[in-house]
Amino acid sequence: MVGKNCFAIASDRRLGVQLQTIATDFQKIYKIHDKLFIGLAGLATDAQTLHQKLVFRHKLYQLREERDMKPETFASLVSALLYEKRFGPYFCQPVIAGLGDEDKPFICTMDSIGAKELAKDFVVAGTASESLYGACESMFKPDMEAEELFETISQALLSSVDRDCLSGWGGHVYLVTPTEVTERILKGRMD
Amino acid sequence: MDLDAPHSMGTTIIGVTYNGGVVLGADSRTSTGMYVANRASDKITQLTDNVYLCRSGSAADSQIVSDYVRHFLHQHTIQLGQPSTVKVAANLIRLFSYNNKDMLQTGLIVGGWDKYEGGKIYGVPLGGTILDLPFTIGGSGSSYLYGFFDQAWKEGMTQSEAEQLVVKAVSLAIARDGASGGVVRTVTVSSFSL
Repeated sequence: MVGKNCFAIASDRRLGVQLQTIATDFQKIYKIHDKLFIGLAGLATDAQTLHQKLVFRHKLYQLREERDMKPETFASLVSALLYEKRFGPYFCQPVIAGLGDEDKPFICTMDSIGAKELAKDFVVAGTASESLYGACESMFKPDMEAEELFETISQALLSSVDRDCLSGWGGHVYLVTPTEVTERILKGRMD
Repeated sequence: MDLDAPHSMGTTIIGVTYNGGVVLGADSRTSTGMYVANRASDKITQLTDNVYLCRSGSAADSQIVSDYVRHFLHQHTIQLGQPSTVKVAANLIRLFSYNNKDMLQTGLIVGGWDKYEGGKIYGVPLGGTILDLPFTIGGSGSSYLYGFFDQAWKEGMTQSEAEQLVVKAVSLAIARDGASGGVVRTVTVSSFSL
């Protein structure tokens, strides 16, 4: 979700095999660099592999360009990597969030074969995505400050995952401003 | 999400006898596919003053079976001139389940108290078997409780021990089973409640 010169990215913490819960502290949001995060919903093995590949590609980019990747460039990289597997895809839906030139917030999401969806306000992915669209649409306001943005994204996340059998067990929220990154764990329903 | 998928109670249901009666327990989640349609449903339905039913599986199927059995039990009580026994209630449930086994998809636990046999629990799983047991578990969440009950169950518990056991068990299943959730509802039936 985009705020005033800041963004927040959040995920739930459940890892399950169909209806059985396997883990309740599973990390789904990965840091690429201090101002760029990617959340990966979907199959856990594909999320882990994609993350490893992206970190590898970003480190190579850093060596060559001697700077961090811009979020827009990173999104194009993710899209290209996913489309390479067009006829045997990774079962993952990424949510990318970062601060670009002049610390302007950038967010986008993609389907599992790399179709980019840019948005100015919020993007969602996962099994509870339909609920999330509803919650974000009603709770979002433009130009929220960091603390208010944190509250809004947390409420939208928790209320949506509580209505989804496959999501839950709390939340993991990263709040990113030009000067700092705050990571918080939300305590949610444990069912 | 498929909002037209039939309502199913993923569920965890439990029935336990204790020294003086029975305790029935259930979660409160009803799902359509993976969407939580009702997070506070009541899966323990009353059949008569002294007999209650825990429902799992298809919400529609279990509701219709309980409605039919409640109707026939009411007639039976009038004809008999005294409260129906738990065994009769359980057998009526069983007959419905067995004779319509092709069409129904519901696992049920019948529990209650009568003056002849005291507190009784009967399991009526898919297919229509009737099982006379000191305790029984059912629903998708029950898979996680077999080991727990092997260790925690004992004969001749007090009312408070039985209630605590049921609440703990349903909570554990809710934690692991995605199709169970919400609150834990319990019903205790004993001679003192009648």
